Amino acid sequence: MPRFDTLHTAWMAWDLPAPAPEGVVLEQTKELDKFLAEVERRAFRMAQVALRDPDDAMDVVQDAMLKLARNYAAKPSAEWRPLFYRILENGIRDLQRRRTVRKKFMAWLPGAKEDPDNEAQDPLENVADAGPAAPDILMQDQAMQKLESSLRSLPGRQREAFMLRNFEGFDVAETAKAMGCSEGSVKTHYSRAVHALREQLGEVW
Amino acid sequence: MDEDTQGLAPSALETRSRALFQDSVDAVDMRVRSRLTQARHAALDAAAVSSRRPWFLRTRVWTPAVGVTAAAVLGVALFFGSPIGHHGMSAADMQPNLEDLDMVASGDGSVDALDMLQEDLDFYDFADKAANSGSPTSPSPAA
Repeated sequence: MPRFDTLHTAWMAWDLPAPAPEGVVLEQTKELDKFLAEVERRAFRMAQVALRDPDDAMDVVQDAMLKLARNYAAKPSAEWRPLFYRILENGIRDLQRRRTVRKKFMAWLPGAKEDPDNEAQDPLENVADAGPAAPDILMQDQAMQKLESSLRSLPGRQREAFMLRNFEGFDVAETAKAMGCSEGSVKTHYSRAVHALREQLGEVW
Repeated sequence: MDEDTQGLAPSALETRSRALFQDSVDAVDMRVRSRLTQARHAALDAAAVSSRRPWFLRTRVWTPAVGVTAAAVLGVALFFGSPIGHHGMSAADMQPNLEDLDMVASGDGSVDALDMLQEDLDFYDFADKAANSGSPTSPSPAA
């Protein structure tokens, strides 16, 4: 039985059954910082495509970062990507469910016919920008808007499969891990998503 | 990457959509980037705090235990505090019953009870006779 000079040293020894050297912890923090810096903007855009609202997207991404850091920071860094996107997609799905419930509840209230999601929007956002814009940038923006609206019209699992595989470059196995389903399901969802997008965007693209 | 083209080159739709998405990621404004950086630093701080906490104080350990305990406490409280019927008798509830039993069993009360029973028998006898004769008479005062 080892002897401890103070209660604090005893506590520290008991608290960390497998104590990691300070350098290893620092290295892990740096690695996590690098990983989050790599994925944060892409994750934000993915959440924004799914949720439309940038503030909601920011909340979901922040929550996913916190959960990954708190619960899975000690895991090997190779596992972070699918875990992070799984947390992110779960957060998006939870928020969409809450919105659905809120809409149903608001529909029962008298005088609440307006969509609460649209109330917070600034009407000026819908006004066309009067400033000069290069034609190619304008076309690019329009194409992205079309893509976003088409992605939003897809069922959730198809959208997830398409974004993870095509935007994030996940292979089938990684996508299955991130989505929490079988590889066969991923293939089916992805194929249906591509066909649906082709039908919707065929005329434009 | 479509199922029809597994292992083959991606279609034009896939290539173009990926390029558009990448452009939109690059075009994220500075305000959003700043907020994302703040969120990242908050997450890293949370990771540092979480790694310093003892295992028994971590939420993942305690959440199920707290939930089960709360459910058990609620169940016990509802069982014993339910307004529907009594599920058991306390010593206080049993006290009056024991007193009644004592009164019945005691010698003091038994004489009175027999007198009352005798009075009842006399009354029933009188009522029977009155009904058969058709002319009721008053019962004897001795009864």
